[in-house]
Amino acid sequence: MSYKNFRIVKFLMAMFIAVTVSMAVSLENVLLAVSAVGIGMISMILIKRSVKEVLVDEMVQTIAGKSALMTYSIVIPVLAALSLILMFSDLSNRGSETYNLGINLSYIVLFNMAVYSLAYYYYRNKYGRDNK
Amino acid sequence: MAEIINNIKVLRAEKGITQEDLAKIAKVTRQTIIAIEKGKYVPSLELAFKICKVFDKKIEEIFKTI
Repeated sequence: MSYKNFRIVKFLMAMFIAVTVSMAVSLENVLLAVSAVGIGMISMILIKRSVKEVLVDEMVQTIAGKSALMTYSIVIPVLAALSLILMFSDLSNRGSETYNLGINLSYIVLFNMAVYSLAYYYYRNKYGRDNK
Repeated sequence: MAEIINNIKVLRAEKGITQEDLAKIAKVTRQTIIAIEKGKYVPSLELAFKICKVFDKKIEEIFKTI
């Protein structure tokens, strides 16, 4: 399959998933949504294999890396600030939904930071280990 | 940081190679070749050597710092 055809198929697959998930949400059918996403993912893996052209190269990886870092740099501080606001806005009522949402958000932020740190140290050791 | 320029476009024209051909040989996308030619993306050393091999030139004959 050529790259041009792959892009068309990818677009159609994204449309199929979006429509099916929207239908699943309106029908309140979780199984339909999960099936649509699962079918979409498996189909994309199979379609990617049939493409003979290079889809991912070093420039794509560089762009993806920079985008991921920028996303992380924006999302994590925003979520951290939001979790603090939610927690401190309802500090007197510790069992409230707002307070619990703040707590959950802060755990998500901490989990993300932990994963980022692990990945960072892994790649630092991989590429920057001193061989003395 | 010093800017790195290259003469891939000229060499490609001399050899009659299209961007697509070069991309296939170097195993990258055509977008990467376009970006390198325009000076928007500096290739890795590995890719730079692959490109040098295609044109049978030394790395300093293709890539220069200004």
